[in-house]
Amino acid sequence: MIVMMRPSLLAALLLGLLSASARAAAKNPDTYTYLTISDADSMDPAWAYDTASDLIILNVYEPLVMFDKASTEKLIPILATQVPSKENGLISADGRTYTFPIRKGVKFHDGTPMTPEDVKYSIERFMLMDRAAGPSSLLLEPLTGHPSTRDERDQIIPGIFADVQRAVSVQGDKVILRLPRPFAPTLAILASWAPVVSKAWAIKNGDWDGTEETWRKFNNPSKETSPFFEKANGTGPFALDRWDRKTKEFILTRNDHYWRAPAKLKTVVVKGVNEFGTRKLMLEAGDADTIYADRPLLSQVQNLPGVQIIDDLPTVQMDPIVFFTFKINTVGNAFSGSGKLDGEGIPSDFFNDVDVRKGFAYSFDYKGFINDVWRGKGAQAHGAIPKSLPGYSARQQTYTFDRKKAEEHFKKAFGGQIWEKGFHFTIAFNSGNLPRQTVCQILKRNIESLNPKFKIDVRSIEWPTFLDAQNASKLPLFVLGWNADYPDPHNFAFPILHSKGNYPMIQKFRDPEMDRLVDEGMAETNTAKRKAIYAKLQAREFDEVPHLVIVDTVLYRTARSWVRGWFDNPIFPDAPYGSYFYTIYKE
Amino acid sequence: MFGVTALLFCCLQYLSPEMRASLYIKDPRQLSQLDAVIEKYGLRKPVYVQYGIWLKQVAQGDLGYSETAKMPVADAIRSFFPATFELTVMTFFPILIIGVIFGVLSAVYRDKLLDHITRFVAITGYSLPSFVLGLLLLMVFYGRLHWFPPGRFTLDTDMLVHGDSFRHWTGLLTLDCALNGQWAAALDVASHMVLPAATLLYISVALLLRITRSSMLEELTKDYVRTARAKGVPESVVIRKHALANALIPVVTLSSLLFIGLLSGVVITETVFDFPGIGRWGVQAAQQLDVPGVLGSTMLAAFLFVLANLISDILYAVVDPRIRVGN
Repeated sequence: MIVMMRPSLLAALLLGLLSASARAAAKNPDTYTYLTISDADSMDPAWAYDTASDLIILNVYEPLVMFDKASTEKLIPILATQVPSKENGLISADGRTYTFPIRKGVKFHDGTPMTPEDVKYSIERFMLMDRAAGPSSLLLEPLTGHPSTRDERDQIIPGIFADVQRAVSVQGDKVILRLPRPFAPTLAILASWAPVVSKAWAIKNGDWDGTEETWRKFNNPSKETSPFFEKANGTGPFALDRWDRKTKEFILTRNDHYWRAPAKLKTVVVKGVNEFGTRKLMLEAGDADTIYADRPLLSQVQNLPGVQIIDDLPTVQMDPIVFFTFKINTVGNAFSGSGKLDGEGIPSDFFNDVDVRKGFAYSFDYKGFINDVWRGKGAQAHGAIPKSLPGYSARQQTYTFDRKKAEEHFKKAFGGQIWEKGFHFTIAFNSGNLPRQTVCQILKRNIESLNPKFKIDVRSIEWPTFLDAQNASKLPLFVLGWNADYPDPHNFAFPILHSKGNYPMIQKFRDPEMDRLVDEGMAETNTAKRKAIYAKLQAREFDEVPHLVIVDTVLYRTARSWVRGWFDNPIFPDAPYGSYFYTIYKE
Repeated sequence: MFGVTALLFCCLQYLSPEMRASLYIKDPRQLSQLDAVIEKYGLRKPVYVQYGIWLKQVAQGDLGYSETAKMPVADAIRSFFPATFELTVMTFFPILIIGVIFGVLSAVYRDKLLDHITRFVAITGYSLPSFVLGLLLLMVFYGRLHWFPPGRFTLDTDMLVHGDSFRHWTGLLTLDCALNGQWAAALDVASHMVLPAATLLYISVALLLRITRSSMLEELTKDYVRTARAKGVPESVVIRKHALANALIPVVTLSSLLFIGLLSGVVITETVFDFPGIGRWGVQAAQQLDVPGVLGSTMLAAFLFVLANLISDILYAVVDPRIRVGN
């Protein structure tokens, strides 16, 4: 059984002693407040690749098309006037050309009109910025055939700018996308990514001017240099009034000149409050409309007057996942200790040894975690692809908690040196995430119990700082999750298993066979054959253990019952806690 | 101050030069420039040279960049300190008044009902963890009565103080709201500080009560008190003018320490009440090995400690005329 006690839980127990009375009328009916645990990383749509940032971006910027409310299949036009299809002739017969008629009369928050040129600029900028382990590969891959603008040696690929230019063009009031080969999820990707920014605003604020001469300067930039980092000028239903990083608070105000009917809410507040007890009290008092609450805290929010729990919400995600970094950046890195295999640290290639990884894999109590932390909601994950997607491999073997096997692998690792000398390093999770914290604690407890020379420290880090350390490959082992960018198994296979994907790039993990299978799976159009490829891929994943997948589960949402108009789309960032605020109102 | 920062600097030598250099780096791509950073800050040089370089930077107003606050350390202090200062002011004077008055009364009415009550308050206050008390107060006064919400202010005040027309005269929000003629906003900001202030007051006043009481009890048993009483000096004068004046020395010492403790930030209270003060930032900086942040917050604490010591030394002379500089 997992032993877990921390101030927030004790506080939660104390809070259970009292309960607030229900209040019938909606408090602050024009204002919607969501209390979460994380601050965002960046407001730049071409940089941000985390749910906290993308939640704000979803509400401030707009894509060409969007998922129709809760559907993860049906799309509606947003800044395009039609959703391209073969039937309406906007997708060519060979599936390689997409035509988007661009909506007229749409204005950015600064009052300037949105044009097809802005759409072109936004898509190009999204691809060419290509920050390491960022979202650019989502469009680079289908539109240019390259998952990155840089090669393995981190050098710019010759001709990549021309490829990007060739892929996006403007014809009158239309934007045309040309793909080197058919890529079925293209529209689903565009439903969430590369939202439209103002080219004129970008240039005025010192961003890329759209020319070939200057683009390299803006390729893989540092986060804070972008004018989009903390400012926003979109066309969305809400404008970013302020991001206060001191209080981890976003204030969004209604765009009264929105091209559709203005939102019913006047103001949206998204605020990071780390202490669960405080979040809960604010929900009870009606000062928060919804709060982030992990599964272990469900009993604390159940039966609160005026609060609604919606459980068993489907997910298209894999969370938590324990990632091993294959080439740890040990230079000046406190997380890896001495940086050597001397019992006081770990070397850069510590997790390069498959026996180390398997030792960790057999040290985790999967069943205990699912039963105690997840309250039995869910089943052990079978691979990187979740149950909700085709390609899920039900027959795939999984790891179990087995101390003997763990010991065997640790004894074999590094020719027996690890068992003899021991190790000491730090694992990290983002502050406030209780399940991820528990994963770290279970690993620490179980692994340290195998050998007194094995030492693991667990550290909580604020979200933006966590991402910075992770992107710098400084975290030897980190616990994170993956929420689908679009509902297709490729969006799990690529970012989690392909060497050019988001996580393998951070982990410095590369397996040519897996790369081949991921590419093959993407190109295959026959469903049965595709499933077979993904089954092979996940078998390989089991053997290589580049990470530990733990649970395939459902989520729940905690909100005031006066909240109306909310829908659950598991593809949306931070679902089901965060929301597309446009449809929400209170009564 | 020099002592504290020098000690901290010595402790940081435990980290390798590369590790310390990486703390100056904000972008992973700059890792290739570690040697340049090591050279610039003299991180391989003897500790006193490094300390000298750092002091020179500090003298130029450059305290470095806090990765935790995502801003320069000086800006972080400017940003977080006013909230803590306001909370301290709101808390400290009630602590002083209640602690001294009830400490004296408790000693004067030793073993009477008032003494029992104050001792009970002192013991419970001293033994209650601040997060438990904070949450209990929140549950009752916010969860039940909806009087005092957590955070810094409501959304209306938030919009007001960040609006173009609002002038930040002092950085102290309550005062600034009042100076802008926004009385409702001033009241709103003050109401958000009531519960954290009450939590700190209840926990901190306990110590002052106990010290004042025991100090008074000691003075009241001394010969000069007995003599004064024998000479027929009224009891109120004996207590106020004779015993209390002498009993105040340890009270002044403790008060200055309490003041520093409050000003340096009260982490748990700030966390429970979601109050953006300097304590929470300092702890986050320490957790995340944000060395410039840790050095900055420590330097501030050391500066406050020196200042408070100076003030308490002056106050010693005020409360006890026998104490003078040079004596």
